[in-house]
Amino acid sequence: MVNAPMDSRLTRLESREDFLELRARAQSRWQNLWEGGQTVVSVGIGSSSIAKGALTVLDTCRAELGNVATIREVSGNGAFWMEPWIEVRRPGEPPVVYGQIEPTDVVAVFNGECDDLAVGVRGDTPLGNIPSLNEHPFFKDQLQVISRNAGVIEPDSIEDAIARGAYDGYFKVLFELSAEEAIAEVTAANVRGRGGGGFPAGIKWESGRKARVTERYVVCNSHEGEPNVYKDRHLHECDPHRILEGILIACIVCGAERGYNYIGGEYPLAIRRFRQAVADAERLGLIGKNVLGTGKNVAFRVRTGGGAYICGEASAMMFSIMGVRGQPRTKPPRSVEEGLWKRPTIANNTETLANIPDIIVNGGEWFAGLGTESSKGTKLMTVQGPLARHGVVEVEMGMTLRQLLDNVFGGMAEGYTFKGVQTGGVSAGPLTDQHLDIPVDFDSLGDVGGMLGSGGWVIFDESVNVVDFARYLTAFNRYESCSKCVPCRLGNPALVEILDRIRFGRGTMDDLTLIQRTSKHIIELSLCGLGQVAPVPLLGMMEHFPDEFAHAVKYGTVAAPPLSLAAD
Amino acid sequence: MANAESAHVVLPVPAPYTGRQEIDLDIVRELVSHFTFDDFEEAQELILSALQEVNEHFGWVSPEAAQIVAQQLNTTVNRVFGLLTFYADFRTEPRGHHHMLICHGMACYVMGSQALVQEVQDRFGIDDGETTGDLQISIQVVNGCLGVCDKAPVVKIDDDYHGPVTPEELTSLLHRAVEGHGAMREERMSNGQRSHG
Repeated sequence: MVNAPMDSRLTRLESREDFLELRARAQSRWQNLWEGGQTVVSVGIGSSSIAKGALTVLDTCRAELGNVATIREVSGNGAFWMEPWIEVRRPGEPPVVYGQIEPTDVVAVFNGECDDLAVGVRGDTPLGNIPSLNEHPFFKDQLQVISRNAGVIEPDSIEDAIARGAYDGYFKVLFELSAEEAIAEVTAANVRGRGGGGFPAGIKWESGRKARVTERYVVCNSHEGEPNVYKDRHLHECDPHRILEGILIACIVCGAERGYNYIGGEYPLAIRRFRQAVADAERLGLIGKNVLGTGKNVAFRVRTGGGAYICGEASAMMFSIMGVRGQPRTKPPRSVEEGLWKRPTIANNTETLANIPDIIVNGGEWFAGLGTESSKGTKLMTVQGPLARHGVVEVEMGMTLRQLLDNVFGGMAEGYTFKGVQTGGVSAGPLTDQHLDIPVDFDSLGDVGGMLGSGGWVIFDESVNVVDFARYLTAFNRYESCSKCVPCRLGNPALVEILDRIRFGRGTMDDLTLIQRTSKHIIELSLCGLGQVAPVPLLGMMEHFPDEFAHAVKYGTVAAPPLSLAAD
Repeated sequence: MANAESAHVVLPVPAPYTGRQEIDLDIVRELVSHFTFDDFEEAQELILSALQEVNEHFGWVSPEAAQIVAQQLNTTVNRVFGLLTFYADFRTEPRGHHHMLICHGMACYVMGSQALVQEVQDRFGIDDGETTGDLQISIQVVNGCLGVCDKAPVVKIDDDYHGPVTPEELTSLLHRAVEGHGAMREERMSNGQRSHG
């Protein structure tokens, strides 16, 4: 039976040959699934589709179709607009994806009576008058590299992942490449940190490997506390083995004895699926002592955060793992010299590490061929607001903002007019109409006051008052400040206070100068990245929409101070 | 100004809950019993995870429960409470029978979540992290993101997501939750069990 529980078959692999045999078995099982005589129904289950009732759809499929088809629980594919979706593969036909399914539609869809719900065919060949999904504007301009397994494999199945190439890179660093060669590939790929900093991973690894203390760690930073980013959550939900493989490769290459993954506690499904991946990998002996008979040891721990934005900062994250308050510390020493438990620690973002397996397998040259001169590869983007389509997308670096918004996300939703886009989460300024032809990469956006950040951007429309919006962004930083250093702890509340004064119609033009001066103090005197960029969104709003601020000073933006706000 | 004030005059606003409620400590002991460790470092790494488990089960962590976590992991209750008050996910006060998350991420803000927070303040007299006096409803304003941005503005009442919602819809959703599922929740509470999504 194709869909037999895999647990019974997961026995410890003792050697190189054992792994190759398992891979061959997994591949033939995968091929059999798609070329055999059975009907396969896959339901996309992710945090976003669960919110739209996908679990009920899955239950209905199991109850109604369990006897006649193989039911698979795959992950979401990033296309939030078509959730909940199911994919039906009939014998001899390519799989067809049906979107916005109600539980009551399931049987009719299965019987082929609801072709109007068909979104497209997964793969390149159309079926009858159902076009290929790759021709859909949402997918057409995407380049899915690290998210190519999204909605395809069962995230809980290590065999699915291995059949699709998981642990090939790990295998390569264990048996074929020396540590120097592997780091050379990563350096040649010039893969830069995807968490917002943009620091080249190769350099970090090199210094981590050269650290004089031999006991060292690799930490994957999967904490996203920004108010609009969920790319790492998506990646954990759809392909946990890719992230795990990236961390394990880093451990072997940098000579680290233990890998960590620090996941935000607000993502129960991501945590569950990742823990499952770790458990399966342990059972296969890919984690543990004497991995595949090579004599190398790798341990692994999953740690979860508690919902503090500041824990995305590397030193704060390490404090959080060590079970204290997540407050950043002064640097140097950098964490590659003195990190977790005062030992050298290599900390990378999830998305960065997820790129590593492909770089090791295909070579750094291949990766360097993607993207622009200074920003290589692809980027996961989550853009929200009043847009026609929503989702997590993966695009090649260098695509223009206009292409991204109009083609992939389908432009503005009906009835909304574009006013601007807040880039870089809460760490950068907004961009307006005039900036839409700028390419999306690490450097170009910085020139105009924007920022790639971790790829979570928000579109705002004409109905949004920028003074209120700036207050919201500043208030976010006030709330998330860890209170360790004074400029950030007191400066951000001061900014909110000034903004409230303006909003309630009691501001003067001097207040705008005061904002500039206070912001300067916060930016220059704060200890960590959060404080240093906290006033930037506000300053950007003031730069791009000076008229609205002047208008607000004169007339205010809200009729009266809401009573409960006056107190805080 | 006039509107806001008259709204407060007309509607009976229950005071926030300030009373005491107990957590069954035997359950806490059982929950944290599997947090075993080999060395001092590992014990410290486990504090947050243990607290998360307790918080998820009961919806909050009482001082007594924090003491048990501290004992299990060889640390002090001060240390544990320092973590509870720093990380936003933890609550040190009991939750209502119905717990509502209002997503206040940027996408939801752009689509009007501020009005939802205001509505709850006006109608139910509770702010972020508070519980109504009758212990029916507690709210948490999520400063991060619930990740369902195509439904913005989104609220999550108990296990169900609703969106996009207007302030009026929110009030009726809350009333419906209190009336409809009250009995079922009562039962669950009395068993010391709490569902989490």
